[in-house]
Amino acid sequence: MIANLTGRIVMRPAKSAIVIALLFSFLYPTGAQTSSKKRVEVFAKLPDWSGIWELDAFVGQADGQQFSAEGQRRLKEYAAALRPSFTPPYQAAYDEIRKKVEEAVAADPAHPPATHQPLCEAPPFPATSSPGMFEWRVTPEETTFISTVGAVRHIYTDGRSHPPNDELWPTLMGDSIGHWEGDTLVVDTIATRKRLYMGELSGFFVPMSDQLHFTERIRMVHHEQMQIDYMVEDSVALTKPIHMTITHVRVTDFNRMVEETDCEENERDPIVDGRFRTVVH
Amino acid sequence: MVLIGIGSLLLANSAFAHHSRSMFDQTKQITLTGTVKEFQWTNPHCWIQVLVPDPDNAQAAPVEWGVEMGAPVELMRKGWKPRSLSPGDKVTILINPLRDGQHAGLVLSVTGPDGKILGRPAEAIK
Repeated sequence: MIANLTGRIVMRPAKSAIVIALLFSFLYPTGAQTSSKKRVEVFAKLPDWSGIWELDAFVGQADGQQFSAEGQRRLKEYAAALRPSFTPPYQAAYDEIRKKVEEAVAADPAHPPATHQPLCEAPPFPATSSPGMFEWRVTPEETTFISTVGAVRHIYTDGRSHPPNDELWPTLMGDSIGHWEGDTLVVDTIATRKRLYMGELSGFFVPMSDQLHFTERIRMVHHEQMQIDYMVEDSVALTKPIHMTITHVRVTDFNRMVEETDCEENERDPIVDGRFRTVVH
Repeated sequence: MVLIGIGSLLLANSAFAHHSRSMFDQTKQITLTGTVKEFQWTNPHCWIQVLVPDPDNAQAAPVEWGVEMGAPVELMRKGWKPRSLSPGDKVTILINPLRDGQHAGLVLSVTGPDGKILGRPAEAIK
């Protein structure tokens, strides 16, 4: 700043621009601050899924995690809704795996055939029906699913598309993008591992094609319950899509997430020669 | 395995969150009465080592059983704590036994030294 002959304070052009900009930045927040305000507004319109959740079938388990009668009933209902209709080559693959599993179980019912290592591997996609507790973290850019048995899913809701094919490869959780339709989060997932888990196969997987595609519609029905609709499509392995709905209920007996998959600490049901064994002492 | 035979596509069973359970015969229940040797509050599962005297032979050495429970956090949800049991505690334990006849099982409930069930009774016991 300099004083002119009339005693007025004047500013050199460059410095005056900076001062004006600083002044306006306080009076009228712009740029990052404006987007932050907008983000808060967007955030406020999103549903509140905070809290801890679990699959309804796991409620009321015993100390050894045996299912309650109601839990078994729910599981049977889920299973009844899940009868995939395979195309001939995939049906043949399923039949072969099932035959091997049944033969292995019959040969030694006391020591079930092992499915995979490591024992504490995170549940694969969708991971929303595994044991343990869940959290849904909803933000404008992403909804994150976290479970106490090691699953983390990132569902991007910032308007992006899936990466191009040459940047995708099969992963445990695949690539998920989502958008909101009212209070329902609609999730599109591709690039999972090319397989489906089936309980009747003792944990072994049924191979699927690279066309495997999942659509989920997730919403909180009311404060105590969430509902997830699944649509599973695979134009090569399935003759028609699979549709099922599962229910999460709010956990009311605990208020924090604690990791429970540390198999190195004290795993006493190890896999030996392809079968589960129990270390008694 | 808890979901064997249920045909639960997409339902990741306990094999993903620790291990199978089908080595335990859930159609059978056995009651063990004995003394706690050790309470293992550990992941992936908690265990109780319990010394069970032979009811028909008081002179015989007690038999050590290993009984398995859920993960610590799941037990805490049911009212258990890391020090709910101590060595020497007298307990009565209801279990589903191992199919292979070894002295081990899956816990349904534990009655503590005061005669009360530890934690909150589960619907699965009914």
